[in-house]
Amino acid sequence: MRTNRGTISERLYRALLRLLPFDFRDEFGSEMEEVFREQQAAAKQERGIMNLLRLWWDTLAGIVRLAPREHLSILRQDAGYALRLMRKEPVYTIAAVGILGLGIGVNTAVFSVVNSVLLRPLPYADGDRIVTLRQQAARAGVADMKFSVQEINDYRQRNRTLEGLVEYHSMRFTLFRKGEAQRVRTGVVSAGFFDFFGVRPVLGRTFQPSDDRPGAPAVLLLSYEFWKQSENGDPGVVGRTYEMNDRVHTVIGVLPPLPQYPNENDVYMATSACPFRSSAQAITNREARLMTVFGRMKPGVHPEHCGEDVAMIAQRLEQEHPESYPKAAGYTATSSALQEELKRNARPMLLVLLAAAAFVLLIACANVANLTLARIARRQRELVVRTALGAGSGRLLRQLSTEGLILALLGAVVGLGFASESRNLLVQFVERLTPRAREIRIDGAVLVFTILCAVATSLFCGLAATLYSRENIASGLKDSGTQTSAGRRPQLVRSALIAAQVAFSYVLLVGAGLMSRTLVNLEHVDAGFVAQRVLAMDLNLNWSKYNSDQQWRDVSRRLLEQAQGQPGVISAAVTSGFPLDPDGTPGGFPQRFRVEGHLPDKVVPVSPVRAATPDYFRTLGIPVLAGRGFAETDAETSLPVAVINRTLARHYWRDEDPVGKRIKFDGTDNWITIVGVVGDVREFGLAEDPKDQLYLPNSQNPSPGNLLLRTSGDPMNLVQQMRRAVLDVDPQAAITRVETLEQVRAESISAPRVAASLFGLFAILALVIAVAGIGCALALSVRQRTREIGIRASLGANSWDLVRMVVRQGMWLVFLGLALGLPCALALTRGLETLLFEVAPTDPVTFAGVSAVLAGAALVACYVPARRAARIDPMVALRCD
Amino acid sequence: MRKNEEISLQAPVTPAMFNVLLALVDGEKHGYAILKEVAEQTEGEVRLSTGTLYGIIKRLLAEGLIAESRTRPAAERDDPRRRYYRVTDAGREVAAAEAVRMEKLIARARAKRLIKALRPA
Repeated sequence: MRTNRGTISERLYRALLRLLPFDFRDEFGSEMEEVFREQQAAAKQERGIMNLLRLWWDTLAGIVRLAPREHLSILRQDAGYALRLMRKEPVYTIAAVGILGLGIGVNTAVFSVVNSVLLRPLPYADGDRIVTLRQQAARAGVADMKFSVQEINDYRQRNRTLEGLVEYHSMRFTLFRKGEAQRVRTGVVSAGFFDFFGVRPVLGRTFQPSDDRPGAPAVLLLSYEFWKQSENGDPGVVGRTYEMNDRVHTVIGVLPPLPQYPNENDVYMATSACPFRSSAQAITNREARLMTVFGRMKPGVHPEHCGEDVAMIAQRLEQEHPESYPKAAGYTATSSALQEELKRNARPMLLVLLAAAAFVLLIACANVANLTLARIARRQRELVVRTALGAGSGRLLRQLSTEGLILALLGAVVGLGFASESRNLLVQFVERLTPRAREIRIDGAVLVFTILCAVATSLFCGLAATLYSRENIASGLKDSGTQTSAGRRPQLVRSALIAAQVAFSYVLLVGAGLMSRTLVNLEHVDAGFVAQRVLAMDLNLNWSKYNSDQQWRDVSRRLLEQAQGQPGVISAAVTSGFPLDPDGTPGGFPQRFRVEGHLPDKVVPVSPVRAATPDYFRTLGIPVLAGRGFAETDAETSLPVAVINRTLARHYWRDEDPVGKRIKFDGTDNWITIVGVVGDVREFGLAEDPKDQLYLPNSQNPSPGNLLLRTSGDPMNLVQQMRRAVLDVDPQAAITRVETLEQVRAESISAPRVAASLFGLFAILALVIAVAGIGCALALSVRQRTREIGIRASLGANSWDLVRMVVRQGMWLVFLGLALGLPCALALTRGLETLLFEVAPTDPVTFAGVSAVLAGAALVACYVPARRAARIDPMVALRCD
Repeated sequence: MRKNEEISLQAPVTPAMFNVLLALVDGEKHGYAILKEVAEQTEGEVRLSTGTLYGIIKRLLAEGLIAESRTRPAAERDDPRRRYYRVTDAGREVAAAEAVRMEKLIARARAKRLIKALRPA
């Protein structure tokens, strides 16, 4: 069968030839077709179909073998030529590699985080089957209630979808090593905990069921970091003993350097060694909720079925123990994949940063494409000559693309360096969002991503070069090729690239502006307390020495007396916690109370409770709005009293005066009288609205956890004398953390600060790249229009006219870019909504400010080449060819 | 001889390239004629595909061992789509050097009775 384009086999052969590079086809293609035709005819004539099949097989194999060899050889030639050219133009090469390096580096760095935190599976055995169990009392406002021992036993025995259930909680204990007190974060876990996660120790063994039995000898596992720091990585550490909680603890092993979930701990102990977990109260009281519970789903179980199973158990517990799960609390239980839990907080921020990084790369690409076009314009004569000498336009385009690819790959190398250098900074940032931060590293997936970025970049730049050079070379063949006005399409391409850079920069700058305003709002939000000149000390008293409330009261009093006696201290308070305390546990034991006169089952108010000595409110500058604060007269034996915050007062007494009203903690018979209302404090985060808060006098509920001091001078000057003062009271006290409340406040917004800084950095990079791009493009345009400008000048245009002409040309593109960027920014900033505080994603002030900044910077960038245009001497310009 | 050795060091030829050079030693030929000559001379043992042949032709042209012939056959026997190739002096020297190298190899194999052992006379 023969058509105009030959027989089917001839067409097939022609298609096969397309595997070869086109210059090889240009050179030998038609000849090869002819030879194949003759071979085919001979084969048919000689031995028929078998011979024909063999011919096809040999032909196919020959071309498939030849094609990669030829492509590689041409690539080698092109690459060699490109490298020679790049060496000749070091300024262009360094600028392009640097800009692409930044663009690719930013993306590589952010992707290394996204890959480690969001994409990679957990580094634990069957990590995708591990779930976290959660109990909630929705109507009482408790989202994460923890589990009691009795509840853990119930879930362990009754579930049908889990093949293992382990418990965890973390506490701080004082560890005595060679007589020295050290406060350690201690993970308390059930025996199978490490086997459950598939963690093998680097030394010794992990916990066995015998370690978990009541009365078993106390044993400890050291975290890798603690072993390295405190024991200098001594391999003989197994068998060493420490004293903790008045018991001797023996080291049985060292854990590997794996990320620890849910928290980082220094040491781990079995549940039987924890004085709280093993106490009769914790074991018998269904409401002594302290533990986090992990389960592993049986193979093939769907997470939804597991959730239903857990919810069913909760329902039955609610029926069986109505006293522990009042109907009004809205008690439920759920399960969620641990992997999801760990990335939930980080996901929105990381995706936003990835998008921002992508914008930086787009801007870098547009900029380098423009630089490349400017370079092609300079090389136009060379390209025209090569075309005239017979180099096909395809050949030239491939040469340009190879140059682009080499630039992008060099950019990728720079980018990888940038990403690996910024790893530590990123870990510090991501640590605030997820415990998986320590897993961040540059692995195979990140390398592939970087190479893909480089290839995409070179494709983008190559596309621009293609659009440009086709017309430019063609027009170059017609005229002299330099100082004339450029063709219409090349001009359009370059204008579009500039407008795109402005639009992308605008989106990034708006994002950065919104994040910065969020940070400023957070920094200036009224937290409800005065943080200036307040020192907060963590008091880690050896609790096993204090057996009664009276002893706690005594030590509190002595601490307070010591503190108040120090020169420079204006007021002092002993308290169970302080606002924005990073170690504070808002989700700990929910404290429920009944309000006198309210129906017992109508609501179950839950409130964080803080014990404090009388000067607490004065020390923190919390205003007393009604009634009074605590007084020395609120003693152990006097009437039980409480102070509440304004939110709690409004919540339960609306327009009534709560002073004089009474409340009672669930399960107790003592009515507590409210004696005062104080101002609201943002206890759990500056971005979080104040919650109900209840204060009790330390004298009636002694729990000296912290010492707060308001000072007349710099609070840090008091640290040494306060340490000595505390040790005078209790020589075994460990003071691990001393901070000013200003530091605490600043730390509490470190995540938004780092986010705003990163966003700001990206935006500044984008602005600089874009503005430099506008300036370079205009400078090139002025150079190309030298003769036209000369004619205008000789016809009477003054320098101001010329400046105006060039600036108008540049600013028109800037305004076009702003017009394109505005709807993009309006659409994209909605994605930031959850990360913003007291600023709308469409905040007009930010949008207007960013427009002004961008337009101003662009105006400066336009003015420089415009001045150059104004200085062009008409006589010199007209003599140019 | 010394010159031949230098050329052979600069441009070592593969067996397929050697076959193409040999096919051109006794006169210029077009692509299909080279294929046929190689197949005939090797009694069908070496059958070059078009891909292999033109890969070799490109390399031999680049190394200056063959050249495109300017003379063409008489118009009635000519096909304008065909190109004719001839071996250059350098190509002839390389082919000769390769032949000598092979001859020496065969002589060594004979001296060690390798060929005899494989193919008893």
